[in-house]
Amino acid sequence: MLRNRRHEYLAAAVLVAPFVLIFGWMFIYPTIQMVQISFTKSPLIGEGVWIGLENYTRMFGDRVFWTAVWNTSYFVLLTVIPGTAVALAIALMVSRLKGWVQSIILAAFFLPFILPVTVVYLIWDWMLNLQFGVAQFIIEPLVGKRVNVWRTTPWFMPMVALLTIWWTNGFSILLFLAGLRNIPRELYEAAALDGGTRWQVFRSITWPLIWPITVLCLTIQLILQLKIFDQVYLFAQGGRTQATMVLVQYIYEQAFQKNSSGYAATIAVALFVIVVVFSVLQFQVLRIRGGDK
Amino acid sequence: MKSLLKTILVSTALMSFVPVVSAAETVVWWDFLGGGDGVRMKKLIEDFNAEHSGQIEIQATTLDWGVPFYTKVQTSAAVGEGPDVMTYHASRIPLAVSQNTLAEITPDDMSTMGLSADTFAQQTWEAVNVDGKQYAVPFDTHPIVLYYNKDKLEAAGLIGADGLPTGLDGVDNFKAALQKLKDGGTTWALSTTTADGSFAFRTIYSFLCQQDGSIGTDGHWLEGDNLDKLKNSVQVIADWVKDGLTPEYTDYPSNVALFTSGEAAFMINGVWEVPTMVDLEKQGKLFNWGAIELPVLFNHACTYADSHTFAIPNNVGKTVTPEKHAAVLEVIKWMSEHSLFWATAGHIPANKSVTETAEYKAMQPQATYAKLTANQVFDPKSPHAGVASPLFDIAGNAFTAALNNEIDAQTAAEEMKQGLDELQ
Repeated sequence: MLRNRRHEYLAAAVLVAPFVLIFGWMFIYPTIQMVQISFTKSPLIGEGVWIGLENYTRMFGDRVFWTAVWNTSYFVLLTVIPGTAVALAIALMVSRLKGWVQSIILAAFFLPFILPVTVVYLIWDWMLNLQFGVAQFIIEPLVGKRVNVWRTTPWFMPMVALLTIWWTNGFSILLFLAGLRNIPRELYEAAALDGGTRWQVFRSITWPLIWPITVLCLTIQLILQLKIFDQVYLFAQGGRTQATMVLVQYIYEQAFQKNSSGYAATIAVALFVIVVVFSVLQFQVLRIRGGDK
Repeated sequence: MKSLLKTILVSTALMSFVPVVSAAETVVWWDFLGGGDGVRMKKLIEDFNAEHSGQIEIQATTLDWGVPFYTKVQTSAAVGEGPDVMTYHASRIPLAVSQNTLAEITPDDMSTMGLSADTFAQQTWEAVNVDGKQYAVPFDTHPIVLYYNKDKLEAAGLIGADGLPTGLDGVDNFKAALQKLKDGGTTWALSTTTADGSFAFRTIYSFLCQQDGSIGTDGHWLEGDNLDKLKNSVQVIADWVKDGLTPEYTDYPSNVALFTSGEAAFMINGVWEVPTMVDLEKQGKLFNWGAIELPVLFNHACTYADSHTFAIPNNVGKTVTPEKHAAVLEVIKWMSEHSLFWATAGHIPANKSVTETAEYKAMQPQATYAKLTANQVFDPKSPHAGVASPLFDIAGNAFTAALNNEIDAQTAAEEMKQGLDELQ
């Protein structure tokens, strides 16, 4: 018996070892390094000098850092819940379609998702171009004048949020659609027999049964959008980057443009903490919400 | 058995005497030239390889311009994986030297190539030297210039007897000329990149220099009356925008499009747009055009310029054979001697003996603006300056709103100083 168990431990260790080794080497070790570097003043390449908590005190007094925290949170607020809601609405509509019509409509919604960010950037940049953009024909009657969206701070984040939802929504739609198909037909038939209205059916059948998918979508979106970088970086280039700064962009700027890895690592640690706090909070909130149904 | 062994030994010994056909020395080359000039550079590389077939072969790779290129060079040189030779902006050399990324070009190297300080314009030469050591060989200078629509200028009476624009000097005078063009029915008198303060920095910096102003250097940014002069420079462009002479919030592609479509009579842009004009003209899609040195709006002529240079990375832990080093020097020498073709990309060859040839002097509009190399100003010598540098970034933040009259020029100048002072 004893021998046997030892045998089992050995087998388990051998099976788990590749994962543990790779995870430790590729994820844990760099994370430890990052925390270490955050206590030094170091360039992008080469050894740093230990300066204790100096980077952290600098960070707390850095107005660009707080702008980045605010902008990142604002962006999360603008994308995570609205994006998921839009995806659910579209999925509900698409699921009512049948056959090849459904395939074509679904493909149309999914298409933006496969575009690389550079293409997304070029499309939207030209559409909103101040002199030549087609979207200015919509903006002009609404606002009364043409607006350079990427250089007008109040317009910047909402517009990036809008195009991000357009760009990344296809994936959530797909998840929701799969979830909707898993809801047994009989439930809807029974509800129809009992004379349930469309709203009652949604409230009592679709919504509770789709909830696990909603949680998944929200979590994926939250983590993804906290790491927002490419869109903001591309659209703000050459303009007032400090006013539209987001956290990952600030890490990039400090490390690669300003050659100060130490401070970049400090901001990365801060982002790490923010992601952990947000995720745990969201998980708790969603668990409570899921438990009372 | 013994005899067999003997045969093997003898034959091996004999084989080692057979001369190995020497393979061509390969030179790994990195550049960041992705546009119209990249096409021309590929042609130069092909010509070089054809001429040196069997001796030297350039293996070229084009990488992404700006921060991605310089990050890759820095990280790969640090582990000995950099190229043998690469293009480099002169303005980025102080940073590269502080990061130990570049190998020195020794006076011996220069004499091997038959080049010296006298080959280049003075400012261009100074730009590749840091603390008395040379780190790159200048290939060209690429300033900004004033492009003009000759048909429109003629109609407004702004073309002189020599066929070149006239009556543009002085801030008020220049603005009056712009107003005349506008009154003549042109949508925009002058277009420039007003949505990108870091691009506009090149123009603002030129005007600063025209007032004998200087941006300073680390620890001494914009001291004394330089702040005031910077304000004046920003004000010049902001006034054009305010008076409807220049379109607000114009990005780079729109700037080019406004000029080439004939909606703007002037355009301030880099010389690298010359191929765009030449190509459109060939297709019969362009008006009569030209390009000249920036007019003297203040005290004297001065224009921002940078230089594409050739540099050798300091590949840590990798020793370079004398043969390889000689091959690299041959590449740089050949390119410098053949830079006449490079001039078709708009850039001004750094090698003065090339710009003095009759062929170059016949090349228009290049030969017209080439004289500005006597009045050029390079970026300040600081690890924070240069293309795609923190300084450019601060300029983008400080100037973009001011150029479009959202904040005043004084605030913008102060923001610039504050941003520079905060650099560490």
